[in-house]
Amino acid sequence: MTPWTDRSGKFSPLKAAVLLGACLPALWLAWAAASGALASAAPVGLLGARPITEAIHQAGDWAIRFLWLSLAVTPLRRIANWPKLILVRRMLGVTALLYALMHLTLYAVDLKFDLLRIVSEIALRFYLTIGFVALAGLIALGTTSTDAAIKRLGGRNWNRLHSMVYVIGVLAAFHFFIQSKADVYEPTLMAGFFLLLMFYRLAHWRGFALTSPLVLVAIAVLAALGTAAIEYAWYGIATGVPPGRVLAANLQFSFSIRPAWWVLATGLGVTLLALVRPWFGRNEPARGRRAAGATA
Amino acid sequence: MLAAMPGHSLQRNVPMTFSIHRRPSWAISENQATPEGVYLDRRRILQGFGLGMLTAATLAASAGVGRAQDADPTADLYPAKKNEAYKLDRPVTPEEINGHYNNFYEFGTAKDIAANAQNLVIRPWEIEIGGLVETPFTIAFDDLVRKIPLETRLYRHRCVEAWSMTVPWAGFPLKSLVALAKPQASAKFVRFETFLDPEMADGQNDFLYPWPYIEGVTIEEAGHDLAFIVTGAYDKPVAKQHGAPLRLHLPWKYGFKSIKSIRKISFVEERPIGLWEALQPSEYGFWANVNPEVPHPRWSQAMERVLDTGELVPTQLFNGYAAEVAGLYTGMDPATLYM
Ligand code: HEM
Repeated sequence: MTPWTDRSGKFSPLKAAVLLGACLPALWLAWAAASGALASAAPVGLLGARPITEAIHQAGDWAIRFLWLSLAVTPLRRIANWPKLILVRRMLGVTALLYALMHLTLYAVDLKFDLLRIVSEIALRFYLTIGFVALAGLIALGTTSTDAAIKRLGGRNWNRLHSMVYVIGVLAAFHFFIQSKADVYEPTLMAGFFLLLMFYRLAHWRGFALTSPLVLVAIAVLAALGTAAIEYAWYGIATGVPPGRVLAANLQFSFSIRPAWWVLATGLGVTLLALVRPWFGRNEPARGRRAAGATA
Repeated sequence: MLAAMPGHSLQRNVPMTFSIHRRPSWAISENQATPEGVYLDRRRILQGFGLGMLTAATLAASAGVGRAQDADPTADLYPAKKNEAYKLDRPVTPEEINGHYNNFYEFGTAKDIAANAQNLVIRPWEIEIGGLVETPFTIAFDDLVRKIPLETRLYRHRCVEAWSMTVPWAGFPLKSLVALAKPQASAKFVRFETFLDPEMADGQNDFLYPWPYIEGVTIEEAGHDLAFIVTGAYDKPVAKQHGAPLRLHLPWKYGFKSIKSIRKISFVEERPIGLWEALQPSEYGFWANVNPEVPHPRWSQAMERVLDTGELVPTQLFNGYAAEVAGLYTGMDPATLYM
């Protein structure tokens, strides 16, 4: 099975598209890095005056984004009744791992591969320690994701091991928060998306139907409120910014649209997906717990 | 429109990251259309591809207008005589690098803030001098800058974010300004404040930060010859992204202490609390003296990345100015001096 064919060996446009999408950020980074090195007349390349730092940040961003995308597969399969999506879950997860490894490698480049310093920095700086634990977790999941390893572990054990991804997600988001300089807009946004993804699971486990627009809207609203709460708490606990000011900013749109709104919009977008789903012919038989609620 | 074109800053140098965070970078206001001098050097034109050439031609055509509007009335003061006492252990950072890697949150949090910073209106510019002084007064920058002889000094600049650059600043020692202000004996600190104009400076709409930017030093520090008021750089009036028309530079302290675009200078008895200290007291203190042994809570300060050369070099105590300034701090608590 290549990264662009399904289990029967047929070309899968879905897999090919995800493969391409997974490579694009790396290709862009490589090109941007080369733009600085190649054009000797240009004082700075596309990555700015501190290219390694910029690349570390972008690789970290993509690691967390792909991790979230891999976590979106299961709820989206249910919501959009699109079981085939499972085909790309492993690829998304492995991509997250590869970007995280690139992120660490670039960090090592930044420290000139001074192993002693790298290790001592990771041990000394709390946010790096957290990132390291998250990366170790991702490596554990990545190396147990081959067909052979899955067979060896058995489905149940594999699932149990891989539920570690939720802890890894929390650690990665926490790492993102702590490394920020005062402004935690982007980590808040990612934390909000994570909430959304977790609420879909929670709802499913509690027996709610992820095909019901009502349930989906409720999840979107709750995740948005949760996002605002996380933002409020972070500023209140970790910074000198009056958190009330941040909370109030949720209702002011002149300067920025706060993360909670983007989370709400995403949740509502997903609801729309569930609404238009019946118009697309693929009427596959409902399965699992969802089946009970689907008719409600 | 012209606004999208000046310089390479909008086409290049902008780290392209996915972000829905801020107003898009192309949303630039009108007065940016003619940045300072619409300066076109040959290299920059050659760098560009076809589009660049076209841009250059268009700009050159409009450059006359741009110059007339923005002609700096203090341009004749530069280059200022070099003060040979201040030498560097490394090359001067090229202007194009220095001018595209700045923290100027008043105009946004991106490092390449040069294009946005052109919105800064620097004329007329008055400086209010007050607090515990003989007689408070307001002085136009153009008058002030001709009251004290200017000199050029090569200084190292060390950012708290563990990068550094070297700049050929021009200006005068802060102590000359202090002498002009005639502080009373009760003045213990000098407090600096920049402009507050969210309409001009978009970043000041960001509610996270307690605008305006404030910084402060002790009266002893202000009297030290190294403390420098910058009015020029690279043999011309200082660029807007560096904090035109006048800014502070305290080369032995982390960069955030060196406030840009000063509007108000007050002599006070109580220790001023700077913007960063108000925001994150655990990370940005009042003293902020450079010390490689005292890490920032999130990273080591042992080394610094030198812009342009990209070298990673050891950071020095007081950023290499220990011989000059260490005496200011004898007998003080080292627990707070370096953060
Ligand atoms: C040993 C493991 C890791 C190390 C040494 C590490 C190191 C770093 C460093 C140095 C930064 C930049 C901090 C700064 O400039 O102040 C950073 C930021 C970041 N890291 Fe990591 N990291 C690790 C693991 C991870 C993992 C596993 C993820 C995600 C799955 C991750 C996601 C991020 C993100 C999203 C950012 C912020 C990027 C931004 O500012 O846009 N990191 N990390």
